[in-house]
Amino acid sequence: MLKIKDLHATAGGKAILKGLSLEVKPGEVHAIMGPNGSGKSTLSYVLAGRGGYEITGGSVEYQGKDLLSLSPEERAREGVFLAFQYPVEIPGVSNKYFLKAAYNAQRKHRGEPEMDAGAFLKFVKEKAKLVEMDPAFLNRSVNEGFSGGEKKRNEILQLAVLEPKLSILDETDSGLDIDALKIVANGINKMRGPKRAFVVVTHYQRLLDYIVPDFVHVLSGGRIVKSGGKMLAQQLEKEGYGWIETEGAPA
Amino acid sequence: MAVTNNYQQADTGTKMIHIGKNTRSTIISKGISAGHGQNTYRGLVRIAKSAVGARNYSQCDSLLLGAQCGAHTFPTLEVGNTTATVEHEASTSKIGEDQLFYLRQRGLSTEDAVGMIVNGFCKQVFNELPLEFAVEAHKLMNISLEGSVG
Repeated sequence: MLKIKDLHATAGGKAILKGLSLEVKPGEVHAIMGPNGSGKSTLSYVLAGRGGYEITGGSVEYQGKDLLSLSPEERAREGVFLAFQYPVEIPGVSNKYFLKAAYNAQRKHRGEPEMDAGAFLKFVKEKAKLVEMDPAFLNRSVNEGFSGGEKKRNEILQLAVLEPKLSILDETDSGLDIDALKIVANGINKMRGPKRAFVVVTHYQRLLDYIVPDFVHVLSGGRIVKSGGKMLAQQLEKEGYGWIETEGAPA
Repeated sequence: MAVTNNYQQADTGTKMIHIGKNTRSTIISKGISAGHGQNTYRGLVRIAKSAVGARNYSQCDSLLLGAQCGAHTFPTLEVGNTTATVEHEASTSKIGEDQLFYLRQRGLSTEDAVGMIVNGFCKQVFNELPLEFAVEAHKLMNISLEGSVG
């Protein structure tokens, strides 16, 4: 589904990704871990197509297409979803209006008729249950005045509504208390399926207790220096990143 | 509400003169500047000596699209007695890359994303309009800002 080959990217003239390769198949959950400044967020943003990054080498193939040549909205409509580390507030725009516009943009892209307001409201209320969200949130402005946990839960609600093929979760666990973490993880687990893939970017192993990954990769210095199963995450939690950085240093 | 695009300049304002006792008023002004547009708001709130216990609340918000436009606010408050309450609030915000990217990441085109943010900004005013008029205003806004970003 996703093939990243020898990806190099710079931001503001500084090289951040230095030859990253990763392959994700449908149904798989990949966790990307790594210390601060290793390029985790850059990887998420580059995949979603945010401005401010320059791709200086390598390629990203998504469902046989050159992902890097698509605009951010085209990527979204093709089923790439980024759950933001810091979700943005949009004052005056109600959550349900925003969700409906996003959902219908995707349906239109697939050549399906748009869903009308009544049917959509019913649909979105079902989805809100999935993340145990009070339907009152649907009438509030997008993320405005939401607590950190509510914003993250709102990201997962969007994920549930848009049903992306490839979801990238950028430190979705940061700023969540243990109860909120469980709710968010449950929401994601319910979304798992043989056709959907997840890339979970995180600092801590904690999230991976709830969202059990198939593969764990350690990102350091802009490349993946170690890959393994879920045991690797537990080892990292115990021993830190230090030992990998020395072991995996490029020759 | 005022919108400027390209090289337009708008110099608009409101006068509110209180004469009677315990009179109340609210002014909400929303200015949107795009391209090289400049928006100026001049407000006068005069509370006469006779307007005992009068109240006024003014809110002046500006939204900037792009780096070449500007917004200017010149409020004037003349209060002729000590029992009146007069408030003025102003804010200026810019449509951020972050907001745009967030909406585009959810599948909206840049134009739709800008339209959504602008209409959210104007909601407070649109909500006061009769429905038919609000629909017109909404569409007019999208036309006025066509091609102003991206």
